[in-house]
Amino acid sequence: MKINKAVHGEVMVITIEEKEANLSNSEQFKTQVIQEIAAGRHRLIISFIHVEYLDSSFLGALVAILKALLPYEGRLILSGMNGDIVNLFELTRLDKIFVLKENTDLALKEF
Amino acid sequence: MDKTFPVVLELDVPKHPRDIFSFTKAAMQQVMDCRDLDLATQRKIKMILIELVTNSIKHSGHSDSQIRLVIDEPSLTIQKKEKGVQIEFMSSEQQIPFEEIDKTIKISFSTENNHHVKTLDRYKFRFLDPFKEGLNIEHMPEHFGFYIITLASDSFVYQYDPEKKENHYIVNINT
Repeated sequence: MKINKAVHGEVMVITIEEKEANLSNSEQFKTQVIQEIAAGRHRLIISFIHVEYLDSSFLGALVAILKALLPYEGRLILSGMNGDIVNLFELTRLDKIFVLKENTDLALKEF
Repeated sequence: MDKTFPVVLELDVPKHPRDIFSFTKAAMQQVMDCRDLDLATQRKIKMILIELVTNSIKHSGHSDSQIRLVIDEPSLTIQKKEKGVQIEFMSSEQQIPFEEIDKTIKISFSTENNHHVKTLDRYKFRFLDPFKEGLNIEHMPEHFGFYIITLASDSFVYQYDPEKKENHYIVNINT
């Protein structure tokens, strides 16, 4: 999956560069991020600023990433989601599990 | 808008993930041409369509799937029809055909993917609220498709037709 990685101190910002976060790229994205976690990146922001829609497969990938951070007491913040995607998190009540921020600047302030 | 209800739309389900979003957008446009719906309802319909199509692409292989949208007032029904063998549960007190009717049972399609359903007849069940037991990240499932459809709808029913060997997914939304 096409992503952009930027490091801000101990925080890595991963920006998804595709419009669709779905079945076709969720497994690859999960692998890409879990490799970063294994390499020692435990403070992550994932930016959805370019993403138009997200499906259940990608939600599953995000849950797997959050679980992978648990042993390291890591932190994951999701940013830049559009109204449809925020609504999906609220519907599934995953907004109680994940930290959602409007943009990357606000997400960085959480660390 | 001067329409006679119900309006029925028949749509072929795309076979590739790259077509899911454009399919959903086109379907939503057709729905909106028939009825004014608030943003919350539009979002629910979009989510349901995305998950029904994603489910077909994931699980139905090369078999054809059709979606029928029945646009009425004050409700909207989304029906997906798919040829093939019936849904099978990974572990359950029962399998289809059910022996006990009108009973709430717990089923699963994979590890950590549990659903409570109510058996309606031997080949039919309704999904129930998935979050009665609360949320816990360590036991959080990684497969949300049916959860999303259940939560976005007012009723989500699965039915198998053993004679035609057809799976039917019937979703109702009160608008």
